[in-house]
Amino acid sequence: MIEYLETTVDKFIFKVAKDRFYTPEGLWVLNEDSLVRIGVTDFFQQRNGDIAFVNLQPIDTVLKFDDELASVETIKVNLSLVSPLAGKIIKINKNAEAKPEIVNQDPYGEGWLCQLSADNWPEESKKLLSPQQYFVIMKKEAEEEVKKNE
Amino acid sequence: MSKAEKINIVPCSGIGKAFGSVSRLAAYYITEDDHPSDSKLVPLALLVLGDKDTNETVLANPSITIDGCKLQCARKMIGECGGHIAKDLVVLDVYREHPDMKPSGVAELNEAGEKLARALADKVDSIIDQSLGKNGGSKNA
Repeated sequence: MIEYLETTVDKFIFKVAKDRFYTPEGLWVLNEDSLVRIGVTDFFQQRNGDIAFVNLQPIDTVLKFDDELASVETIKVNLSLVSPLAGKIIKINKNAEAKPEIVNQDPYGEGWLCQLSADNWPEESKKLLSPQQYFVIMKKEAEEEVKKNE
Repeated sequence: MSKAEKINIVPCSGIGKAFGSVSRLAAYYITEDDHPSDSKLVPLALLVLGDKDTNETVLANPSITIDGCKLQCARKMIGECGGHIAKDLVVLDVYREHPDMKPSGVAELNEAGEKLARALADKVDSIIDQSLGKNGGSKNA
């Protein structure tokens, strides 16, 4: 059972899972033994709207830090998601490509995007944010977003 | 359910997003051009206000809801009113079938948005034909 940090901004509730790391752009990274699983945050999916298409890089693609990991088209924007660490794509979530709504519905669970080998996890994880650090950034961005729309 | 005489078309009533505009344009294509005599445009706002005639229309005929987003206000409102939903569609799902038709613009849709509205209307047209027992389709709504 995932535990969350949670905040309400205006009428929106945003959750940050406590069991993983984050990037400021709204990707999460979950260490699972020799692999890391990657997905988008609840705030990311709420901010960018319903996802129309998810395109993932194929299995065996070798990524450097900042290489494109996936592209996402929502009803609002087209986004390129860049890899938060170096590694090879070992598995992709074909359900996320076939039924992109699962990324909106369950961003921390069924809506994951891919799994990478993380050969240098101890070192690379240092560049990532803790849930608490991401929570602060996310909350600030959410509040700014609301102000912008007032 | 017995054979329906008319089908209600209930589009999105949201503002500010292209997908809602696609929903409404498709509804106009259907009710004004394609099926003027056997479909009826139902404005969501009147249902929300509890308008008696609109409520009766919803109870009398099956409805096809065309929602602009996954909140699906049209589907929910028809359900709240006790109406029968023959089919609930979401523009985003139809767009996924036509990725070359990305809508943009709100007051005025781009050409791709108009094409998407046309594709959506075609989809609804065939559902109406089936519901009303035309083109060899089922006679039940």
